[in-house]
Amino acid sequence: MAPRQLQSLYKDLQRAFDARPSDLKKCGLLLAQLKARALIGLIETGLLLPNGEASLNDMVIARDILEIGAFWSIRAKDIPSFDRYFSQLHTFYTDYRSSLPPSKREFPLRGLNLIRLLTQNRIADFHATLESLPLPADEIGVNPYIRHPVNLERWLMEGSYSKVWNAREEAPAEEYKFFVDSLMGTIRNEIASCEEAAYESLPIKDAATLLFFTSQSELLREDGKSM
Amino acid sequence: MANVETTKKDEEKALSPTAEIKLNVTLIDRAVVELEPRFTHRVLRSLTALRKRTDDKVLRSAIEENYPAGVYYALNLYRAVIKTITGADRAMDVDSAAETTTTTPAQSKPSSDPVPEVEIYLRLLIIHYLHTSKENYAKSVQLSKETVDKMQSLNRRSMDPIAAKVWFAVERSFELGGELADARPLFLAAQRTAALRHDDDTHASLINRLLRSYLHYSLYDQADKLISKTTFPTSASNPQFARYHYFLGRIKAVQLNYSAAHTNLQQAIRRAPSAKTAPGFYQAVHKLFVVVEMLMGDIPDRSIFRRPVLEKALGAYFDIVKAVRTGSLSEFQATLTKHAAQFDADKTYTLIVRLRQNVIKTGIRRLSLSYSRISLRDICLKLNLDSEEDAEYIVGKAIRDGVIEGRIIHEKGWMECEGRKNGYGPEAMRYPLDAHRKELAAAQGARERERELAKEIQEGDLDDDDGGLGDF
Repeated sequence: MAPRQLQSLYKDLQRAFDARPSDLKKCGLLLAQLKARALIGLIETGLLLPNGEASLNDMVIARDILEIGAFWSIRAKDIPSFDRYFSQLHTFYTDYRSSLPPSKREFPLRGLNLIRLLTQNRIADFHATLESLPLPADEIGVNPYIRHPVNLERWLMEGSYSKVWNAREEAPAEEYKFFVDSLMGTIRNEIASCEEAAYESLPIKDAATLLFFTSQSELLREDGKSM
Repeated sequence: MANVETTKKDEEKALSPTAEIKLNVTLIDRAVVELEPRFTHRVLRSLTALRKRTDDKVLRSAIEENYPAGVYYALNLYRAVIKTITGADRAMDVDSAAETTTTTPAQSKPSSDPVPEVEIYLRLLIIHYLHTSKENYAKSVQLSKETVDKMQSLNRRSMDPIAAKVWFAVERSFELGGELADARPLFLAAQRTAALRHDDDTHASLINRLLRSYLHYSLYDQADKLISKTTFPTSASNPQFARYHYFLGRIKAVQLNYSAAHTNLQQAIRRAPSAKTAPGFYQAVHKLFVVVEMLMGDIPDRSIFRRPVLEKALGAYFDIVKAVRTGSLSEFQATLTKHAAQFDADKTYTLIVRLRQNVIKTGIRRLSLSYSRISLRDICLKLNLDSEEDAEYIVGKAIRDGVIEGRIIHEKGWMECEGRKNGYGPEAMRYPLDAHRKELAAAQGARERERELAKEIQEGDLDDDDGGLGDF
């Protein structure tokens, strides 16, 4: 694929993505096009599976395209697609760490991957991924994108569910909220089973509060679902 | 042979390094000619002590003595060792160069020519010597690469024990002089060859080198894959096994498989060389062992921390044990911050952070045993939790998980428990052995083990000699 076509499609993609609100449909179309033509072209020129001969600039563009793709997947709520993009990005982040200039989307995406593992309850993989982060241990608490999922995991394990609920608002990026929302379903199940064991009796009003529902009717609706 | 006998008598007084090298060379020669690997092993046993006593003079004279002047490949060894070429040396250089042009490169082996194993052995000594000074690191990498190529091309079983040691030296070279990751392709290729050639020593050594290299860069996934795709040779030596089990223990611990990690680390301790010969390894294994025990819910035996070789090294870990025992989050956090740098260096920091939950669990258990009724507010204060809300959720979870038995009375805002259990409650009936243990976390630890045991029974993983279930 001619480099100029690649460049112009890439610019279109950036514009569509950065527009407020993001033009998701257009992004989707462009990404499909890019994937079909550019990424095949990338594979041809060896960029997608880089073998060190591709030019630095092309690699940066390839990485950018994949990153935009990853973010777009979350906004379009297509999580398997996010998984695919992220695993492709992984090579860029690990093996080419030293040759490429750092990307400012790297840590947000790594953090999103961590939360993704949490929602699937893949705790072992969560910890293994955490260990392999290129950050010294004391910086994990400082980087906001990583600190968020790390804290979430800790609170979930401890049982500090109210902290998880409050963390919703403090997400370091829009896309995090999506995953925290899906965690809430899991959390509510957890809280419900704890309540079953720990309380002999509990007024419905209080149960609703503990489950972070704003009204009793919500609680009854959810109850109906889980029954 | 008489030569060897008399030199053996000389061993009574300390041999000069040069003389020792010469003796070793003779032994290696004999080992190859008579197919007696035990001589090679004897030579290698003295390696650690010997390499500390060699310097460039010793090496130079060793090369000269063992290679009659003018042999081509001796020159490469020669050049590796010479730091500055003085005038006299240059003359010697020129002389040898002149001679090599006249001798035919195609080896017509005179009987005094030493076997290739000797060359590799000398290279090994040189590489170790080059490790001793920074300016030689790059050279050591270069020499390592050359040596590896040579070893691979000579497919000699008699070389195997020396080869295993060389790989260790190669790893050091890359670690000191270059990027450890660059050595990985070498290791991988050699590992496949060693497996094919049934070179067990080298194979074991290489698997360990690879695992160490992966863990150095925290590539736990790849390390896991390597383990599943290779079989560690059963005939490997104990030190190799010890290392292997240590690496396995670390990987399993990261993957939250604490009971497997525990078993592996116990094996590592069993097979490790004594604390006197290898204190560093002994300490490293025990550090990890102690953390894994805590993660399983047990409190490590206090006597471990009093052993002389471990007392100082494990000091920070003992502080963590104390914090976990008392269930005090503030003490835990303080200890963690105080020793953060050491834990990071030991690569145990992330594992220790996971102990937070254990601290809270212990804290809640203590409270439930001491109070028949306690307000959520007091729980929050005593455990250093951030809010009453948190306390309520955490206690609820603890009750559901079976950490404590009790009830929350939401409207009154307190927790009620059964109060002190006497020693003959249902827990003791199930675990008669544990009745002796006075440690607070004992029952909880036993419960967790029982859960794991039940899981293992389900998965059919129990070994035959585990626990004596009475079946035959």
